[in-house]
Amino acid sequence: MAHVTLEALTKRYGGNAITAVDNLSLEIEDGEFLVLVGPSGCGKSTALRMIAGLEEITDGAVWIGDEFVNDVHPKDRDVAMVFQNYALYPHMSVFTNIAFPLQIAKLPKQEIRRRVDEAARILQLQDFLKRRPGQLSGGQRQRVAMGRAIVRDPAVFLMDEPLSNLDAKLRVQMRSEIHRLQRRLGTTTIYVTHDQVEAMTMGDRVALLKDGVLQQVDTPADMYNRPANTFVATFIGSPAMNLFHASLGENGDDGSRLALGNQALHVSKHVFDRRPGLRAYANQPVIVGIRPEDMEDTALVPDGAQGNRLHSKAELVEALGSDQIVHFALDAQHVDVVDPDLLTDIAPEPGTEGSFCIARFSAKSQIRNGDPLELVVDTDRLQFFDPSSGLAIHH
Amino acid sequence: MATARTYDPELLRQSRMRRANAQRLRKFGLHLILITLLVVMLYPVIWMVFSSLRPEAEIFGGLGLIPTTWTLENYRTGWNLFGDKTFGLFFVNSFVICALAIAGNLISCSMAAYAFARLNFRFKWLWFSLMLGSIMLPIHAQLIPQYIFFLNIGWVNTILPLVVPKFLATDAFFVFLMVQFMRSLPPELEQAAMIDGASYWQRYWRIILPLTVPALVTTAVFTFIFTYNDFFSQLIYLTDIDKMTVPVALRLFLDPSGGTSSFGGLFAMVLVSIGPVLGFFLASQRLLVRGIATQGFK
Amino acid sequence: MSTVTAPAARVAPAKRPARAIPKGRGGSPVRRAENRAAYLFLLPWFIGLFGITIIPIAASLVLSFTDFDILSPPSWIGLDNYEKLLTGDRRFMNAVDVTIRYVGFSVPLILVFSLTIAVMLNRGLSGLAIYRSLFYIPSLIGASVGIGILWREVFGERGIFNHFIALFGFEGRGWITHPNYALDVVIALNVWTFGASMVIFLAALRQIPNSYYEAASIDGASALQRFRRITLPLLTPVIFFNMVLLTIGSFQSFTQAFVVSRGTGGPIDSTLLYTLYLYQRAFVHLDMGYGSAMAWLLLLAIAAMTAFVFWTARYWVFYGDR
Repeated sequence: MAHVTLEALTKRYGGNAITAVDNLSLEIEDGEFLVLVGPSGCGKSTALRMIAGLEEITDGAVWIGDEFVNDVHPKDRDVAMVFQNYALYPHMSVFTNIAFPLQIAKLPKQEIRRRVDEAARILQLQDFLKRRPGQLSGGQRQRVAMGRAIVRDPAVFLMDEPLSNLDAKLRVQMRSEIHRLQRRLGTTTIYVTHDQVEAMTMGDRVALLKDGVLQQVDTPADMYNRPANTFVATFIGSPAMNLFHASLGENGDDGSRLALGNQALHVSKHVFDRRPGLRAYANQPVIVGIRPEDMEDTALVPDGAQGNRLHSKAELVEALGSDQIVHFALDAQHVDVVDPDLLTDIAPEPGTEGSFCIARFSAKSQIRNGDPLELVVDTDRLQFFDPSSGLAIHH
Repeated sequence: MATARTYDPELLRQSRMRRANAQRLRKFGLHLILITLLVVMLYPVIWMVFSSLRPEAEIFGGLGLIPTTWTLENYRTGWNLFGDKTFGLFFVNSFVICALAIAGNLISCSMAAYAFARLNFRFKWLWFSLMLGSIMLPIHAQLIPQYIFFLNIGWVNTILPLVVPKFLATDAFFVFLMVQFMRSLPPELEQAAMIDGASYWQRYWRIILPLTVPALVTTAVFTFIFTYNDFFSQLIYLTDIDKMTVPVALRLFLDPSGGTSSFGGLFAMVLVSIGPVLGFFLASQRLLVRGIATQGFK
Repeated sequence: MSTVTAPAARVAPAKRPARAIPKGRGGSPVRRAENRAAYLFLLPWFIGLFGITIIPIAASLVLSFTDFDILSPPSWIGLDNYEKLLTGDRRFMNAVDVTIRYVGFSVPLILVFSLTIAVMLNRGLSGLAIYRSLFYIPSLIGASVGIGILWREVFGERGIFNHFIALFGFEGRGWITHPNYALDVVIALNVWTFGASMVIFLAALRQIPNSYYEAASIDGASALQRFRRITLPLLTPVIFFNMVLLTIGSFQSFTQAFVVSRGTGGPIDSTLLYTLYLYQRAFVHLDMGYGSAMAWLLLLAIAAMTAFVFWTARYWVFYGDR
């Protein structure tokens, strides 16, 4: 078991033309489950492969434990890796697949037998040891890949999108299995995924990358509640946070007025107390972020404060059973965070003003497509960002 | 103006029939052409089969196939035509060379292919293009110095000049075939093995080679056919009758002073000589055809 | 709507003193190990490349400037061999002529046959696998001495070919003993082995998506137009590939002419292929210097042919990605 340190880790391709990972510095504690998350092409896999030693390091350094491993061969780094396609050896039985690293290490036969059986028991693979990978289901293959990793008892697990080849239901199940397994073994784990739900549910801490640059590293809760910038704010959470250009009014005794298009919200004083930096934006434009779940149908919150209401028309209601996603137009300028993974919303139909906003209502709401809409905004939970830099306004 | 559309099952049936008939006719025509062509092409071989089973005197009697009397006499004459040096000896000589050539090609070509397909090294592009270029080289350009060299080290009239080069991956074509195959294997397999602590040799021997079996089988079959049919180099290097292979021995029939007196025996031995190639082909047909197809693609 | 490009906020990584990166470790040991391993795997091939291929070819060039009969040491005679070949050797000129006719007739005929049969087979006929195997059989055995011997008898005076044409009222003759026809028999034997090219064409045909043909049919193209406008252009890379292989292979044909003419290249040198003449000079007359000069001229001719074919390829071979 070991902690892992990345110091200004950098990867450039094609004669420095492309920077896949840019100055990544991270400290992963002993036994920690760290998730590297980001849109595809953000450099997260490259970073992981540099830690594994599969990718040459252009600049910067990797330590595993107290050993500087830049020049250490992958086999000597004491890491185990689970690949996206599992990389099971198709011509070997499940037993041999799991035993392979031990055979290579020339362990005695009984010891190999014992350790493979132990791993198979943990992963409930006892009945499949004689089969070939081609005869297994997706979930079983995934478990064999895990087995091959845990049987070695390595210092660090490296996992590269290990669940992305599974269907949605199995993914949820395996997610918790891997999580439990890691807790039980207590092995330092670096887990790469593009799925923010996996990141939030599994990680002790989450590191969010974009274009090779680390955006924020934090606990899932802090990531969600205190996003460092507009990109983090929109990447974490689904549906994504709504971002609008708005402007703050004069600082008053009981807070301030936030103009959002032709409507307004009241931002109370203790919001400013928590974000002293926000006072400097009096009479200034800001970007305001509203999470869909921080809006609710007024009908369900009868005593909602008068100042925290917005009015519009429900353009589209998507009933998910547990809750309802309501799309409505808001006469305010929408902020698009550039992200190749997300399609920009189709502009509202001509005749409707402003841009779309998304709210998540409780299933109890009676709202229907086309209904007039009145909703309550939990202004205590609004996020504020500087319009020119996109950075969160916290201090 | 709207026409009423009525559902007429009879009309539907007729149209379906018409289409089916046209299709059947077209396919029948194609089959007819192909079968005629095949019969014309393969008739000489079939004729030879029957000729080898009829008495000597009847052989050049005409186009007919069925002999008046069936006999295996030709096989006996042909087999023993050169006295105590029977075709048994020539077959053993041929098979020994083929077996060693197969072993040599499998080992040396797969090793070279592994390096070209899966490893990075300096001047790779240079060596790889030399390898590709050597596929197209005519053997005649190397033949004479090779012969002089083998003559000087006393290898003429041994099988060594025919076998040793195979252990040096000189059949670059098979290297290329295996490179194409190995390239298609996912890189993660080896990366996983590398992290698991496998050496380069273990990666080659335990991961890549077992997965390359289809290409290895293709190589083995083709090496057999090429080596078994090879005439030029065996003609040059094997002149002693004890060392002769099947094609070199058959050639003795051609000698104006030789045994053309027995056409029956000749045909019998020709048939016996092509037997192993056909046998090998039929046994590994599927793999082979796929192998030839991949020469051009992927 | 306005757009804010995602901020380049750098978050302070951790609350710990930065470690110094150890210095003085240039190069990557992993890469060096891989380099060494690769060269070890290539070792047999390297020995073969230099020992069996490159050095002999170079030696062959040197020998071509000598008079060498193996028994006595070679004597340097400069360009004499080449001069004699190109000006004074009528058998050589004849061999060049025979070889060009042999290649020039065989290759186009094989291409036409193999492509035609492949297209016929590709029209959804049942028994495709059986047809494919049967058509391929001649390619397997066609290069053997045995089949050469069979061919001699089939086209001999008493052979079944004469019986066959007699059915249509033609008069037979000894085809292999007549200087006007003997080469045709050898060419026919080469064309007989079109199956290998056919298998390659067939595989290529099956890779052309059916939707192209469906789209063309809907656009009103007839079967012939579909072949000319879709099949043929898409097959040009494979036609090219087969053409190069066949040309190089045919230039080096030896066994069949040897067997049909009993090693003489006769009658009257009418089947004296280049390689057959080379064999006679070098290994029958032991004229190794002369043979080497011939080998080098063949090498140059094949190189020039290949280069020419590759050059023309730019004008007629269609690659989808260009």
